[in-house]
Amino acid sequence: MAKRVRSEAGYARKIKDAVHLLFFQHHRLPGVRGWELRQELGPDWQNVLEVLDKQLQPLDLQVTRVLDDPNIMDPDQTQLADARYYITMRGGIDQKAAKTIGWRVDDIAGLAVAIAYIISKQGKAPRTEVERLLQEKLPGWRVKMSIDRYIQQGYLGEDEKGVLYMDWRSRAEVDQKQLVNLIVGFGKKADAEALKPEADEED
Amino acid sequence: MSGRKRDELEGVISLCRSVQAGSVEPFAVDIDYMLEVIRRYYPETTSLKDFCTDAAAIRGLSEVLQGQNAWIQHQSTTLYKDPFLLHQQIQRMDISAMADSFLRSWHPMVQMEQLSAKTLAGSLGYWTDLIPIAERWKESNLQLVDAGTATLEEARALGYLPEEGFADILESFWKNLEGRVGEGGRISYWDWIGADTYEETVKRSYLTVFIVSYGYANIESDRFGEKIEIIHNAEPRPDPGQAKISIPTLVDYEEWKNWRKG
Repeated sequence: MAKRVRSEAGYARKIKDAVHLLFFQHHRLPGVRGWELRQELGPDWQNVLEVLDKQLQPLDLQVTRVLDDPNIMDPDQTQLADARYYITMRGGIDQKAAKTIGWRVDDIAGLAVAIAYIISKQGKAPRTEVERLLQEKLPGWRVKMSIDRYIQQGYLGEDEKGVLYMDWRSRAEVDQKQLVNLIVGFGKKADAEALKPEADEED
Repeated sequence: MSGRKRDELEGVISLCRSVQAGSVEPFAVDIDYMLEVIRRYYPETTSLKDFCTDAAAIRGLSEVLQGQNAWIQHQSTTLYKDPFLLHQQIQRMDISAMADSFLRSWHPMVQMEQLSAKTLAGSLGYWTDLIPIAERWKESNLQLVDAGTATLEEARALGYLPEEGFADILESFWKNLEGRVGEGGRISYWDWIGADTYEETVKRSYLTVFIVSYGYANIESDRFGEKIEIIHNAEPRPDPGQAKISIPTLVDYEEWKNWRKG
């Protein structure tokens, strides 16, 4: 009995350590590598993260893992050790909440367009093309400033040839599949609903 | 090879570069035509310049094929959506709808900067050891003395001048690097600069800045700045393939102590 209590206490301590590691920034960039977690939490570090993830669920938070190579579907132990782990919000947020954390609606829309376009171009697109696309709806001076801001905040990266790609923050925070599906599916529900009364009238 | 023919080959190279930069779709390129151009001019290749142009065209072509392969792989993933359809949708959506879509797929990161009791205690220790500014910036008590002369040897003996010239120090530091890692070898930054004393470690990091700047060695860092390596250059030259960037490295006393502990 005493042994079980000790092991439970040990597990609770590990979860507390995991919270300290994941919530507080230790490096220049947020997030903790898998090997750092293993070093601090021991060999069952992945189980500790799983339990922590469950405990964070009621708070609308989650443990997010980002692999170095986003194409890996079934990572091995080495890839898991190299992956970065973050705490992110589990659900989405609304425009009102986004404003309170310093984002203007056109900044958010601009980032969405840039990311969706880069995804459609296999993960990289010339900056000039992204700028041209954004300038269709946003003023030119604002477009350049916004792209610089996305780069500065780690959402986009730019190489020496002026090609934009998705940087670490987009990979950690944005559910790319959902974003693309929402954009492609935009209007379909509304269109279907608009067609429905006509069909009913025909009946 | 005539100028016109070289122009045609260079056109092929430039098209391949556009594919690589993402401004032209990999399948928008006519591979058969490109191969035909390369094949047509190969028998006329005589000079080194022609061979280089030919090799660049073949390399560009292989990269286009690689791009086509990646494109097929991308299309087979669940993320693939027709770029034209996506573009149409982006144009159709207003800013608010676009922002809504993003917010529904966005899970912002939660991260805090901490000030713990431990860091506070550490900072208090630093404050206690800190010499008051009045003492640190104390005016020097200058005295007028008669100027004299000294030979170069005397100045060296007094420690005002180093025993050898700075260039010689760098040369021997470079040789030392070669001795440790071999020609073209690499070593972790801290394993290279780390020494028994903190002063020596700082001196080695200072000299490392110069051997890297003068092209005796290169420095490489991963994108998170966690793994920094020094690479020996067999011939002193700055890496031509690398963009010129600064890599700030902190030679912190605490970090040195941790390195010493292993």
